[in-house]
Amino acid sequence: MLEAIILGAVSYGACLIFAAEGELIAERSGIVNLGTEGSILCGALLSFMVTVWTGSPYIGAIFGLVGGALPALLHAFMVVDRKADQLASGLAITFLGLGVTAALGKSFVDDKINGMDALGIPLLKEIPLIGGALFDQDILTYLALLIGPAIWWFFKRTRVGLILRATGESGDVVYAYGHSPRKVRYLAVTAGGALAGLGGAQLVLATTLNWTENITQGRGFVAVALVIFASWLPLRAAAGALLFGAAFALNLVLQTRGVGIPSFYLLMLPYVLTLIVLAAASKGQRQLMPAGLKAVFAPGGT
Amino acid sequence: MSAPDATVIPAQEPRSLDPRDWVPTGTWFKIAAPIATPLIILLIIPFFGIDVPAVITRSVPFILAALAVALPARAGLINVGGEGQIFIGAVFGAAFVKVVGDGLPLIAMLPMVLIAGTIGGALWVGIAAFLKAYFNVNETIATLLLNYVALYVLSYMVNGALKDPESYGFAIGAMLPESALLPQLGISTLSIGIVLAVLMTIAVWLLLDRSRWGFRAKVVGGNPEAARRGGFAVNRTIVTALLMGGAIAGFAGVVELAGTELQLRAQMATGFGYIGFLCAFLVAQRAAWIPAGAMLLAAISVYGDSLQLDFGLPAATVYIVMAAIVLFVLAMRGTKTKGA
Repeated sequence: MLEAIILGAVSYGACLIFAAEGELIAERSGIVNLGTEGSILCGALLSFMVTVWTGSPYIGAIFGLVGGALPALLHAFMVVDRKADQLASGLAITFLGLGVTAALGKSFVDDKINGMDALGIPLLKEIPLIGGALFDQDILTYLALLIGPAIWWFFKRTRVGLILRATGESGDVVYAYGHSPRKVRYLAVTAGGALAGLGGAQLVLATTLNWTENITQGRGFVAVALVIFASWLPLRAAAGALLFGAAFALNLVLQTRGVGIPSFYLLMLPYVLTLIVLAAASKGQRQLMPAGLKAVFAPGGT
Repeated sequence: MSAPDATVIPAQEPRSLDPRDWVPTGTWFKIAAPIATPLIILLIIPFFGIDVPAVITRSVPFILAALAVALPARAGLINVGGEGQIFIGAVFGAAFVKVVGDGLPLIAMLPMVLIAGTIGGALWVGIAAFLKAYFNVNETIATLLLNYVALYVLSYMVNGALKDPESYGFAIGAMLPESALLPQLGISTLSIGIVLAVLMTIAVWLLLDRSRWGFRAKVVGGNPEAARRGGFAVNRTIVTALLMGGAIAGFAGVVELAGTELQLRAQMATGFGYIGFLCAFLVAQRAAWIPAGAMLLAAISVYGDSLQLDFGLPAATVYIVMAAIVLFVLAMRGTKTKGA
């Protein structure tokens, strides 16, 4: 049972890792993106459609990036250039994504696809308990496991990462150093949306293998919560996503075993767990929050 | 005002992109426009073949859900949990009816049912308010996550404790007794729901723009640190504002139950809370304008229902139009409204 939960934590958590890391990049540049839910939906549907047409989930996954980036680009335009309210714009974009994917996806509901093949790593995949979860996955899930450390490295060790983090703390300083906070935010939000779209691709190409309306079930909002829970740190965000995946897996495992707990309680579990974890992690969070998260920079004054 | 100095030509103000700067600003206009706009919308929609009474009925939960966002927003709080608070309001209303049964006259029963739903909404947002006040958990994300929990509470109740024993396996609640239903207005199929929604709008407008509490909330929302140093009870204002917002959303849920649905359903009021959120931001959280925004979104929503029937489009398709309108208005308006 433990092995099934670990396996499920990785499989279900992978989509969330992508979405949470994408949200984290955007927030580190100073912009909250509640449109992440919409990005996952668009990425999921576009990757599914392309996979149905071409038969290749790998081409589909690339289009998942595109599908996720487009709503995020719109959000960046709304917030950076049009100075719209971040939360309202993000939520409206999520709704736009929900509507567009419901309408366009209707004819794909009955389609079946061949998902991504698992690429097992010899010997390592034989390790008991964690072998199947960590070393016998498809390429997107491997990528999900690597993306947290990769973004940690990007923030910590690269110049671009430093500029991005500085933009979130103080747009003025970045501007004074000759960089454009506007460009940084556009790139960060769009790249974050692309990652969320890849999460959507992972969801349909590796986990569900079909398309249904509103397939994400609030995963994008959970991703936003995870970023807060993780105090805007990439490794913690990935860990949080795996924890949420584990809660989801526990729910499925218990259901298939016919434990006498009504399924409603189990379905609530991931959301309640996230709330509890948020409350537990609330101490000392203020200092870690990017200072510019609530203010949008405009060159030449506020 | 002194006469303009002939030598100084004031610089031409660039044309504002804010739609609010395009309209006249006289006092009469400020009062008349928010009242006239929803009526004008109602006059126009028959030309699109949209049923007017259906739009008015649909606008009731939208108005209330938008007020549930606008009230806490004055104190700088973002309540995205209207969706869940509506569900819980309906559940509390139905549970109250189940417990009390059918014996009381309408004059006693209906107000108590409405109050039960209102309390339900307040309790539900109370979880987020508690987490905000004691654990500093961001209320935006807490209310959002609680929506999903509320949805499962509703479906659990509809499948369990509140299921109609005579429903032959269908997961629906029992029909409310006559004494718990909103009375009809006598005009077409309208109930008194729209009257309640308009009264609530006036009440919230008075509270926000004409009361001492509204001023306090504005200060707290504008600069909590300054408010704290000025001797304002910041935490209490925050909790009160959230509770009142949740109460209005709970009221929306129970009004929808007693006025339109007449029995608990798992799919009832789906998306209404989110549409209310969009509505509140559409009109920049000004209570007086909420009926206008709600009427527009209700017209789109009802039109969407007919599209769904005639062309087999998914119900969510109307979100495209709604989101496009909201995004367009947000893009034109810029940052004049306060962000989170």
